[in-house]
Amino acid sequence: MTDTPSERPRQSIKPKWVRGPQDFIGGIVLVAVALFALWASDDLQGMHGFTFGPGTAPRMFAVLLLILGAGVAITGVVSEGPKLARYSWRGPLFVMLAIVFFAVAIRPLGLVVSGLASFLISALGTPETRWVETLIVGICLTIGCALLFPYVLGLPMPLFPRFLVQ
Amino acid sequence: MADLFHNLFLGFGVAVSPVNLMLCLIGALVGTLVGVLPGIGTIATVAMLLPITFGLPPVGALIMLAGIYYGAQYGGSTTSILVNIPGEATSVVTTLDGFQMAKQGRAGPALAIAAIGSFIAGCAATVLIAVLGAPLTKLALAFGPAEYFSLMVLGLIFAVVLAKGSVLKAIAMIVLGLLLSMVGSDIETGASRMAFNIPELADGLGFATVAMGVFGFAEIIRNLDTGAEMDRELVQQKITGLMPTKKDMMESLPAIFRGTVLGSILGILPGGGAVIASFAAYTFEKKISREPQKFGRGAIAGVAAPESANNAAAQTSFIPLLTLGIPPNAVMALMVGAMTIHGIVPGPQVMQKQPDLVWGMIASMWIGNLMLIIINLPLVGIWVRLLRVPYRLMFPSIVVFCAIGIYSINNAPVDVVLAGAFGLVGYWLIKHEFEPAPLLLGMVLGPLMEENLRRALLISRGDWSVFVTRPLSAVLMAAAAGLLVLAVLPTLRRKRDEVFVEG
Repeated sequence: MTDTPSERPRQSIKPKWVRGPQDFIGGIVLVAVALFALWASDDLQGMHGFTFGPGTAPRMFAVLLLILGAGVAITGVVSEGPKLARYSWRGPLFVMLAIVFFAVAIRPLGLVVSGLASFLISALGTPETRWVETLIVGICLTIGCALLFPYVLGLPMPLFPRFLVQ
Repeated sequence: MADLFHNLFLGFGVAVSPVNLMLCLIGALVGTLVGVLPGIGTIATVAMLLPITFGLPPVGALIMLAGIYYGAQYGGSTTSILVNIPGEATSVVTTLDGFQMAKQGRAGPALAIAAIGSFIAGCAATVLIAVLGAPLTKLALAFGPAEYFSLMVLGLIFAVVLAKGSVLKAIAMIVLGLLLSMVGSDIETGASRMAFNIPELADGLGFATVAMGVFGFAEIIRNLDTGAEMDRELVQQKITGLMPTKKDMMESLPAIFRGTVLGSILGILPGGGAVIASFAAYTFEKKISREPQKFGRGAIAGVAAPESANNAAAQTSFIPLLTLGIPPNAVMALMVGAMTIHGIVPGPQVMQKQPDLVWGMIASMWIGNLMLIIINLPLVGIWVRLLRVPYRLMFPSIVVFCAIGIYSINNAPVDVVLAGAFGLVGYWLIKHEFEPAPLLLGMVLGPLMEENLRRALLISRGDWSVFVTRPLSAVLMAAAAGLLVLAVLPTLRRKRDEVFVEG
């Protein structure tokens, strides 16, 4: 399940009866994940006789999660709890961009290009980055990794862009 | 007895080969190197460094991992003492007196006593593993599927009790982990479960992938929230006088021994004894001390006891893993991940079929401990300098290193994206105060639990009472239930107190 939760702070619109929004939303999301899992494992065969089918255990855990998630959500209703934490967008955005870029680029462009580029993209994640030192460290790290992984550790991966090698 | 020496001899024979010594040394060094970096705990360190052991033969890989583990733990203690940032839960208590000592200019003795205490504890625990290994393996043979299932329930409940915060939320995290572990092919029927026809999901979610996302990437994003320059209260004094005085030794030796005993016992229990061991050892020391007011103000016993206890526990927690094949905590779970990658299924069979591997690893734990003393203490100056590396340079390096590491596991770009997605999930979990460690444990135990539950019910012909009618299983279940009640009760009371205060 790779559904990425995308809750935004919603203190302003939260209803009065939710006293612990952090737990309330948390529980609701768990319930949603459980429901999703129940739907996703719907096609699997269940118990026949006393033999487990492939769907038995997933459904069992999903139902458990459903109950527990509901419990967490109820806690958020009946007892006072912390507010929703604030999410920032800059760090997550650029770190994720760097990761996705690396995944897309590693095969066609190789370790050197995609490593350095990812380094620079993720450095955008904070306003405090100073570009000269970042560039120097990035180059050093890329060289280090290019030596470490394929040569020292013997893990095969492309180093340079495909169109240059051919 | 002869068996014991034979086994240890065999182990040291494997571990002392030059190559394995080198691997252990490199592991301990690299582990400390990464573990010292602020904001990277033991689990994240082991997860990050897992890929660099892939190219090695199984024995070497495990020896190196053990070295990394100890190095990372020691790195955590170093940051606790020098910057007041515990790398992980087990070194939280160390900050109490360790950081005070550092402020008084006695960081050297604090670091030294942490290492010496860990080493003494490690020696004792190594012997204990060797002594208990064989009998426990025999006990494991008496375990049927029902007993295994009950033991895992007990272990999970233990993990819940030890997680900080709400018990309900911790259980929810375990179940979420169990559910995530169901993704992929069913072991018995081969049916594809919740994989949505994505070929990369057919084998299930990679354990290292999830760990790296939830612990590595999520931590980075979280740290960026507060601005890259975390206010680090680094001790600025020069570290002088590394060696503890005679008085220090006299004060800490008894504490080390008590911590060792406490830690060894608590470590054997499944469910992450290391955390509780360090807390228990600290409280115990404070209770029996003639000058309890000194604790929290730089008492050396307050560093010695928890450090030796958590190391003893860390070591003895290998016992349930090696004899029963059940990882008692998240780090051990990663070790299982590493073993499976090398085609080893931990459990009693390994003890019998590959004794060189098991005993080699046990011996190398001891050597790893020794190396920490010999190498790390003289290098304290370097570790301190590492602490000053600004986060704005560190975090992109970690991102790239992790990305390359995950890619190298299966040469699969999809894994990298998945780890990123789990990074977001982990970030969300942190924001909602869900603990990620139980999730990881649930993920590892999921397939094992399903398999044993299946078998137990098949043998009992669908009769669920088998878990309470078989004596061994009943005892384990009762212990689990008792623990759960204990864990819930104080929360209930506290909640009630809060209500009263408000009323």
